[in-house]
Amino acid sequence: MKILLVEDNPELTQNISNYLQDQGMRCESAVNLFDAQDKLLSYSYDCIILDLMLPDGNGLTLLELIKSKKMEVNVLIISAKGSLDDKLSGLDLGADDYLAKPFHLAELLARLKAIYRRTKMQGFDELVFNEITVVNSQLQVLVNEQILDLTKKEYDLLLFFLTNKDRVVGKNAIAHHLWGDYTDDLSNFDFVYQHVKNLRKKISAAGGRDYIRTVYGLGYKFDSAAL
Amino acid sequence: MKLINIISLWFLGITLAALLIGTIVIYEKLGSEIDFELGMELDRQIESYAQRIEQGAPVEKLQYDKLQIQELPMDWPTEELWLRDTLAYHDPMNRNETQLKASRSFKIDGKHYRISYYNLVVEADDITETIVLTMLTVFLAQLLFIGFFLWAISKKIFRPFHTSLEQLQQFSFQKNTPLKLTKSGVYEFDLLNTFLEKMSTKLLKDYRKIKEFSENLSHEIQTPSAVVRGKLELLMNESINEQQAALIQAAFDSNERIRRIVKSLAILAKLENEEFESPEPMDFSEGMQQMLSRLEEVIHMHDLHLKKDIQPGVILQIHPYVAEILIHNLLTNAIKHNVDGGEIDILMDESMLQIRNSGKSPSFDPKEMLGRFKKDGEHQDSVGLGLAIVNQICKNYGFTLRYTFDKPFHSIQVQFR
Repeated sequence: MKILLVEDNPELTQNISNYLQDQGMRCESAVNLFDAQDKLLSYSYDCIILDLMLPDGNGLTLLELIKSKKMEVNVLIISAKGSLDDKLSGLDLGADDYLAKPFHLAELLARLKAIYRRTKMQGFDELVFNEITVVNSQLQVLVNEQILDLTKKEYDLLLFFLTNKDRVVGKNAIAHHLWGDYTDDLSNFDFVYQHVKNLRKKISAAGGRDYIRTVYGLGYKFDSAAL
Repeated sequence: MKLINIISLWFLGITLAALLIGTIVIYEKLGSEIDFELGMELDRQIESYAQRIEQGAPVEKLQYDKLQIQELPMDWPTEELWLRDTLAYHDPMNRNETQLKASRSFKIDGKHYRISYYNLVVEADDITETIVLTMLTVFLAQLLFIGFFLWAISKKIFRPFHTSLEQLQQFSFQKNTPLKLTKSGVYEFDLLNTFLEKMSTKLLKDYRKIKEFSENLSHEIQTPSAVVRGKLELLMNESINEQQAALIQAAFDSNERIRRIVKSLAILAKLENEEFESPEPMDFSEGMQQMLSRLEEVIHMHDLHLKKDIQPGVILQIHPYVAEILIHNLLTNAIKHNVDGGEIDILMDESMLQIRNSGKSPSFDPKEMLGRFKKDGEHQDSVGLGLAIVNQICKNYGFTLRYTFDKPFHSIQVQFR
């Protein structure tokens, strides 16, 4: 996947491109609208990560450019303005998703992959990892050709882990991914633990390897090298 | 007490004191003046009688009830004029009356006579009566004048004061217009008005600064907070030991707290400045049900029993985002401050929403519950702004908020109408 990141904060840019490159994506960055337009017209990208508040204007103008030029590119808006109106106008202008700052890097990646699956694969892709197969169109998970009986949350969790393979995913990031903003101040970590435990049990019961390991008290890691 | 009444009372009191002192002084002066003049007159009379004796008028013939002539021994010295009060028979009134008696002695033709002459005095009580009556008249006139002043003139004099007061009451930060007060021509009022105008301009300037500051702050903090979070997430993926993991987690949690506090404060500021667009009718029952389904799992995991009686189709005039915040804060509170295996009862109809939840007794006065950063000791991780936000929302939309604790139930009521 080739990504263009349009963001004026250098630190944030570094965080995001670091994370994405570690996950095997190609990530280029632009620090303002002018730069971004230049790059967009010269190269092609799969997805644009777009900040709205840029030094030389509002990122929404870039959406208009993409629309008028009929470019085949997905847009994920990231914005510090968590206000409803911004979100709606962004989605109205043809953005594929909207993520409010501050976000978890794991969440950003999950959203990118989800957009990619929806648009490029029309949702008919299969994600295969060793003995685990995720059939997106059916919302099904197979382990050694055996269908796992997972809840919606467990399915989301497994997909989240597979997307962020071999990375430590924090408890906060998982809680946020599963329950969104609404459970911001409810201590959900016990639930995260509960869901992870159930998921591991179900994979093991079907004869799958136990890839998920805890990382001290921080979170979990889907370890592809697990024995 | 009205200013004008205070002034009038003082004025009356001072007048009364002045009148009393005046009465005494006038009484004294008048009495002594009358006595003096009478004495002079009597002296002249005595002298004319003495002349008549000198001219050879018979002493015995001269005497009548007002005139006494006594012969004194020759070797006594002549007496000076001597005045004294005495009781003497007064013919027209046919009784003894206080009279002034003046006497003086003369040596005429080898004889020594003491001539005493009586005359009626103006009586003290008569003087007093007259003076008191006069003074009372003056005092009553004063009262009348002051009454008239209170009724008519004070209105006129205090009019600029009242207009300024009205303009002051209409002053609002939202309108963002400094006070323009009308000139009255009264020096003190104009002084006050200029001061008020200056103060309002300064207040508005400060208010704008504070508002900008809080807006910028909440927005500007988001970015560094996001950077910190990202760095910590990257750090998690380095090869770390358990100690470092604990440090990362602690830093991460504190950063999350900052983010939540700033978010809540931004919402509060927005509410207080009434910056949300005008309310529109929204289905509050629907919003309630949606939020409950979102939180369903959390409620279930806390092992809480949910009882709900929500009347469908309750329409409220409220901004949908604000409604979401209101419902969310009330429900998460009921979950957070509950006990394992406890319960949540939700009751809602067109007039009110009531959320009851079991929980521990609050460690402070329930009235303080709605203040900012008020936290129960056990929930140090919570920001403590949830109910303050709910309170502000209720203020904005004219709902009444009531919190009661009836062991073991905390109950929050929002009265819509």
